[in-house]
Amino acid sequence: MATNDKLLQVLNLSKHYNKGAIKALDDVSVDIHAGEVVVVIGPSGSGKSTLLRSLNLMETPTDGSIFFHDIDITKKSFTDEAGKKHKVNINLHRQKMGMVFQHFNLFPHKTILENMILAPVKVLKMPKEQAKEKAMVLLTRVGLADRADAYPIQLSGGQKQRIAIVRALMMEPEVMLFDEPTSALDPEMVGEVLEVMKELAHAGMTMVVVTHEMGFAREVGDRVLFMDEGKILEQGTPEEIFGSPTHPRLQDFLSKVL
Amino acid sequence: MNNFITANGFEKTFRYIKLIEQGIFTTVMLAVFTVVIGFILGILLAVMRMTDIRPLRFLAYGRNGRIRNNPVLIAISKFNPVSFLATAYVEILRSTPVLVQILIIYHGVFGKLIELPSFTLFGYLKSNRFIPGVVALGMNSGAYLCEIIRSGIQSIDGGQNEAARSLGMTKTQTLVHIILPQAIKNILPAIANEFVVIIKESSITYTIGVQDLMFAVTAVQGANYIVMEPLLVATAVYFCLCFPTSKIIAYFERRMSRGDKR
Ligand SMILES: Nc1ncnc2c1ncn2[C@@H]1O[C@H](COP(=O)(O)OP(=O)(O)OP(=O)(O)O)[C@@H](O)[C@H]1O
Ligand SMILES: [Mg+2]
Repeated sequence: MATNDKLLQVLNLSKHYNKGAIKALDDVSVDIHAGEVVVVIGPSGSGKSTLLRSLNLMETPTDGSIFFHDIDITKKSFTDEAGKKHKVNINLHRQKMGMVFQHFNLFPHKTILENMILAPVKVLKMPKEQAKEKAMVLLTRVGLADRADAYPIQLSGGQKQRIAIVRALMMEPEVMLFDEPTSALDPEMVGEVLEVMKELAHAGMTMVVVTHEMGFAREVGDRVLFMDEGKILEQGTPEEIFGSPTHPRLQDFLSKVL
Repeated sequence: MNNFITANGFEKTFRYIKLIEQGIFTTVMLAVFTVVIGFILGILLAVMRMTDIRPLRFLAYGRNGRIRNNPVLIAISKFNPVSFLATAYVEILRSTPVLVQILIIYHGVFGKLIELPSFTLFGYLKSNRFIPGVVALGMNSGAYLCEIIRSGIQSIDGGQNEAARSLGMTKTQTLVHIILPQAIKNILPAIANEFVVIIKESSITYTIGVQDLMFAVTAVQGANYIVMEPLLVATAVYFCLCFPTSKIIAYFERRMSRGDKR
């Protein structure tokens, strides 16, 4: 069983497509500790997104377990210390796991402010005024308070991604999942998004980040996972991974991206 | 009947202007009510078709909890009764003539099963004709609107669903606050188009005595032994109802798609 500082514990996780012909994840085990920034790197198709998206069950794994707060969220029910059986409500767990997507996925029919307050008001039943105040504080933090009443279509890619991040933060998640948050951005906008992520990391947020930004991995990551063909082939501190990679596949990968 | 079409014939026709006006009003009312009923029914059917209710799902799994290799059991396990019902409804209503449906609703359902109170709407409309007409047209339109709504929902990028679900929103909350508003905006032109189609199709309800425009036409024809003049008047009226409406829809369609590209 997971101990307390392990926020997320992935055990023997597999995800197969086409009846096992494609192993997007192949028996992966990894722990995510509270306050840790874990960066996932690897070639295209290696299973990075699948691993990340399994953590909040955007993908349903074929096999294995994911413990979040000691509850296996891949199962239908769990038993508490008192021996009582409870149903696993994935919506409840997702509230505590923010997710940021490559293509932002802001709601185009809602203003920035509406995008941010929707889930807190509908899911957490937060009073609207309180949600708005909270949203304005966050918007100010990312320098977009003046765009509160704009629609997503009126924003640049970098602005959209910053909004997507604070939209997720509105739920006060315990962990933030990022799937290539800067890959769809024009190069000049990558910096502003990474800056927000850095601040978040320094504020102590637990983060799992799939990215091709090796600079970010090196500077902000506490641990780097290298994935290939559905497996974590190597993991370690940025110094270890970038300074003295041992696996030939990792050496090969790094020689291409660095 | 020497002259095929005469001024006298038109003059006679316009003596019934009150009847024709009532007919126009009825036709518009038929279309409005039908689209409203059809839209609500369409949403319901579309949601039913897209549910993931599989009571026999357990058949796909063996004792050890792994998926079985038996293709027959796997196929049976995918059976969704809710979606099946909705699909059957849609396919049957789209594959049979609306005239047959109207006659069945009028003579069968409201003739035998349900007794309708008889009163007049707007001072002239017989409820026991109008209501079956609207119900039949609405049921038919619901089948078509279901498919329109379904395609509208399916056209929404999957990332929208994922974003909402990742924030902890339930399936229903996501549907109501994120998917449907966008889907409906996208299909508004198609719904308005359906409105135009129903204005024309509703003419068929005169067969069960709904006092619409075609009912007025037949009344004038019968009373005056004239055929073409009332029909031409009706043609002009239908055209004046439908053509501008289509043009207005096309205008808004262009404007809305421009807004999206910005
Ligand atoms: N829905 C699907 N059906 C079939 N195969 C899939 C599906 N989704 C992913 N895969 C396969 O699973 C493997 C892992 O995909 P994944 O998206 O996790 O890779 P990735 O590391 O995120 O790649 P990228 O860097 O391109 O985003 C790939 O081989 C992919 O083709
Ligand atoms: Mg990916």
